Amino acid sequence: MPCRLLFLLVISLASALSEDTRQRGQVIYGKLCVECHGPKGEGVADEYDEPLFGDRTIPDLAKLIHKTMPEDAADLCEDTDAEAVASYIYEAFYSEAARARNKPVRVELSRLTASQFQQSAADLVGSFRRTKELGSERGLNASYYEGRNTRRDKRKLERIDPEIHFNFKEASPVLKEIKAEAFAIEWEGSVIAPETGVYEFIVRTENGFRLSVNAYSDKPLIDGWVSSGKMREERVSVTLLGGRAYPVHLEYFKFKEKSASIELAWKPPHGVDSVIPKEVLAPVRMAPVMVVSTAFPADDSSMGYVRGIAVSKAWHEATTVASIEVANHVVANLGSLAGAKPDSEEWAGDIQKFAGRVVAQAFRRPLTERELEFYVRRHFGGEVTPEVAVKRVIILTLSSPHFLYPEILSGDGIDSDDVASRLALYLRDSLLSKRSQKKVLDDPKVIRELATHLLDHPLTRAKVRGFFRHWLHIEGELDLAKDPELFPDFDQETIVEMRRSLDMFIDEVVWSESSDFRQLLLADYLYLNGKLADFMGEGTFDGREFRKVYFDPKARAGVLTHPYLLARFAYHRSTSPIHRGVFVTRNVLGRSLKPPPEAVKFEESRFDPHLTMREKVTELTKSKACMNCHSMINPLGFSLERFDAVGRFRFEEQNRPIEIESIYETIDGERISINGARDVAEHAATNSEAQRGFIQHLFEHLVKQSCNAYGLDTLDSLHDSFVKSGFHIRKLIVDIVTTAACHQLDTLETQES
Amino acid sequence: MIRRTFLREIGLSAASLPFLSGLPSLQAAAADSARKQRMVIMISPNGTIPKSFWPDTEGRDFALKEILAPLESYRERMLVLRGMSNKVRGDGDSHMRGMSCLLTGKELFPGNIQGGSHTPAGWCSGISIDQELKNHFQSKEATRTRFGSLEFGVGVPDRADPWTRMVYSGPNKPVGAIDDPYQMFKKLYGQLEDKEHLGSVLDELQTDLKKLQKMVSPEDRQMLAEHAEFVFEMENELKAAESQTLHHAAPELEPGISDTNDNIPEISRMQIDLMVNAFSNDMARVSTLQYTNSVGQARMRWLGINEGHHGLSHELDDNEDAQKKLVKINTWFAEQLNYLVTKLADTPEPGADDSMLDHTTIVWTNELGKGNSHTLDNIPFVLLGNGFGFDMGRSLAYNKLSINRLWMAFAHGAGHHLDSFGNPELCEGGVLDLS
Repeated sequence: MPCRLLFLLVISLASALSEDTRQRGQVIYGKLCVECHGPKGEGVADEYDEPLFGDRTIPDLAKLIHKTMPEDAADLCEDTDAEAVASYIYEAFYSEAARARNKPVRVELSRLTASQFQQSAADLVGSFRRTKELGSERGLNASYYEGRNTRRDKRKLERIDPEIHFNFKEASPVLKEIKAEAFAIEWEGSVIAPETGVYEFIVRTENGFRLSVNAYSDKPLIDGWVSSGKMREERVSVTLLGGRAYPVHLEYFKFKEKSASIELAWKPPHGVDSVIPKEVLAPVRMAPVMVVSTAFPADDSSMGYVRGIAVSKAWHEATTVASIEVANHVVANLGSLAGAKPDSEEWAGDIQKFAGRVVAQAFRRPLTERELEFYVRRHFGGEVTPEVAVKRVIILTLSSPHFLYPEILSGDGIDSDDVASRLALYLRDSLLSKRSQKKVLDDPKVIRELATHLLDHPLTRAKVRGFFRHWLHIEGELDLAKDPELFPDFDQETIVEMRRSLDMFIDEVVWSESSDFRQLLLADYLYLNGKLADFMGEGTFDGREFRKVYFDPKARAGVLTHPYLLARFAYHRSTSPIHRGVFVTRNVLGRSLKPPPEAVKFEESRFDPHLTMREKVTELTKSKACMNCHSMINPLGFSLERFDAVGRFRFEEQNRPIEIESIYETIDGERISINGARDVAEHAATNSEAQRGFIQHLFEHLVKQSCNAYGLDTLDSLHDSFVKSGFHIRKLIVDIVTTAACHQLDTLETQES
Repeated sequence: MIRRTFLREIGLSAASLPFLSGLPSLQAAAADSARKQRMVIMISPNGTIPKSFWPDTEGRDFALKEILAPLESYRERMLVLRGMSNKVRGDGDSHMRGMSCLLTGKELFPGNIQGGSHTPAGWCSGISIDQELKNHFQSKEATRTRFGSLEFGVGVPDRADPWTRMVYSGPNKPVGAIDDPYQMFKKLYGQLEDKEHLGSVLDELQTDLKKLQKMVSPEDRQMLAEHAEFVFEMENELKAAESQTLHHAAPELEPGISDTNDNIPEISRMQIDLMVNAFSNDMARVSTLQYTNSVGQARMRWLGINEGHHGLSHELDDNEDAQKKLVKINTWFAEQLNYLVTKLADTPEPGADDSMLDHTTIVWTNELGKGNSHTLDNIPFVLLGNGFGFDMGRSLAYNKLSINRLWMAFAHGAGHHLDSFGNPELCEGGVLDLS
């Protein structure tokens, strides 16, 4: 006890001392600074209208004030006065913590985002279908038949084909006992969509085929059964939700045509035509998924992450239309979903029971008697058929606030169902998840266990991948094309393969045993296939399959030097140290950058053509106003100058060796020498601001609320355990979703005890 | 319950609720003695090429330069306004303010969306002129239409930020354009069935929302209240649709045109067809037509131009190749305008003996004056048609005249006598006299 007292005493003494300083600072600020900067540093129009905030440290601020402030009489505020002012403004409004304190955020009521609606609707309908495990085997199940039909008794061979990409020419496939004149093949299994969007499925063959993808009915998506032996290509577009597997069925036959070949390709969102690769095919045939195709208006992303913070007329219309779409789907498949027979006597009763189960599932809890009456019973009976009744029930349910606003709680506080639903929403963007054991979720430890259990799922993988796209600024439609005269090999296919390579690298780091954040920055390998290796000038090997290629660790370091990112942060004809530097400063190092005081264009043609890029940028940003930020941006950008505009390693520019050494001033005011990407990566991997920036980004992406809304110390404690876990990304994810799911958990005990 | 019964009584067959049934609507011969007025705002991004755009002379006797040449046959029904300035300052870079403050004449809220320079910003703090007029028309029985306004887009990216939004139904309330003609078709002519089910549940949904409003904090209540309001509006739309029949047949859209860069010419034409059709069925009196977005990077390969529009617009004036291409691009926009104007001129005004162009004022404008300087001065303004009774057939030049004053002229032209629009300080001098 005495020990603790002493400790408290020391703390309060220390804070009292600095409190004194701050008070003195406040007085000085009131006299000398307030006129131009405003009482809360908010700025004064026509004086200095930029608000005072940033990431300088107190000593750094003090130095700046000592040297430059007040503007017309810099000697009025020096040394200890400057320190006092610095510590006052730092605590009062300058630092990020102060800003968070001044503008407290709360957990805001939010509605499902467009993606969350789609994923939740898919799971709602899916919960009435029999589910299977996708398994880890890849490729499609193939059955080879003698003769032109897929008759069971004529089946000669079963195996797994990794890809559908065959040219049999005039010969028989695989076995001699299957004659070349007539044979049939059937491929079955599932295709996994890595991201949400429109996928074009493409079949090329001169023979007959039928293709169905995610089919609820027997009607094929493309029916190319009749053929005249001429090579043709058929395409069809299908909307798929990311992180899910969809049933695929391809039937194919040859009968007397001269030759035989078949190819199953696709064009995924942001991709190019390519044979569907093995890694997204699985031999297990999954149940079809209800995909809502209604277009939703874009969700708010004004805070830098997508969230459901506002409603609009367009949104209301979209949810209504989407509810109708789901209702129609359910009615069209009513018998199989409800497990009932239309011509049986129990039909009406079964459908009413089914409707009750749908509502309970959508609201993630058992219904009260009154709710059962309101949402279900009164729609049934009278002249209304069970089909019409269930349709109305579903439209009402999916447009109900109980479904659309996940944070609206069922009763007086949160219960286990709410917690489970939150976890599923944060990890998978879906309200629903199957809980194998209905444990009471009243203890963070139990909640953490469930989160860990839910983690390894394709939907979580898709969401995490989405996060990295966001963090690395490579979301949406990007145009990486470069000047074809300078970079003739940098074609669309290369760009797409590079993106695949980056995805593989990130998946590898995140889902490996160590899941080490630092590896994202420090790894000394890349995934390359034959084409990319050739393009990068990194050895020659054949094949479309990717493999790990190791580099001299001095040359490359993790994502920082991934060619896709280097090409993304580059101009049409040249590198862009500024874009690269800004990206590293903001996203990798988590530092805040003020916007440029004036827009300055980089016009290559204005410079002496013999200058290097580094010289041009140095010249362009040499003014004092620019250097406020560019002293930070430029060194980081220059350190990546050994990579050209398409991410290839180079030693020379303008026939001169490239200088990459420079001095970078860290957030703590320390000046360190950096010599290339590896130095930057090592600094970032060990820098706590960088780690905190990463945590904050990840939190917002998963939870769709600000981290500060869960308490001002949330970030600190997440960071602490991130450090303790050896920077384990998956454990961080579990930590984040557990923290958010436990919000207002204290109301739970009264509920369930 | 009463409302629900009402919906039942008016009949719930597929044909009676066109909003969702595939039937379009019209205020059938709604005896409207007042002269019908419409407004269309068309916007293209990245500024113009002044020397190829502005007529050399003022007054009635003016010749059209290269960019406006496609509109030659409408020279006498045209007003070219030079010297208009978007004077909104404050947060956001010129592109953001150029786009999001153009139709609002009001500042952006502070926010954390960072442009290429200047301070970050959020959404706009005011309503846009098209929505202001929509509300005006919708507030009166005689001018009320099913939608009030329709927001068309061509190549507008699917992301919501100040560069992609120019229409605001109020502060912080951006309205996105619909850039998929098929989606617009669905909205206009409805291909949805099941309206009767919808009619029967909307009332219950209201009950649900009201009950829940009591369960959330006052700060959060607002969102649920807005939601309930939208439900209410939808009920009214269903009811309004019930009393409407179709005047002009729905246009037939060529199927399978996907929403991609290279299909922009097709989509542009389809959207204009839909707009004129919706007007002729009196589904709306106000419309906007937004080509791409601020900083828009359309690649107009169909004109033989492979570079992105915004990238080109940054090239300096002495880059002749870029200038040529930019003139071509802007001329293409003028051709789109010409397609719209011609279509309106060729369509007889329902219930009158003149053309729809006689009842429509179209304005073509831009987020910027000039792409490589990012100026918000000398923004292109071309007005066409006779909806608001301006004295047409002139080329006028002003000196940095605030566009807020022009929007006031639009409002007054529509009989909406505003004392100011947007930021009142930018309305100094009052309504711009175009009569």
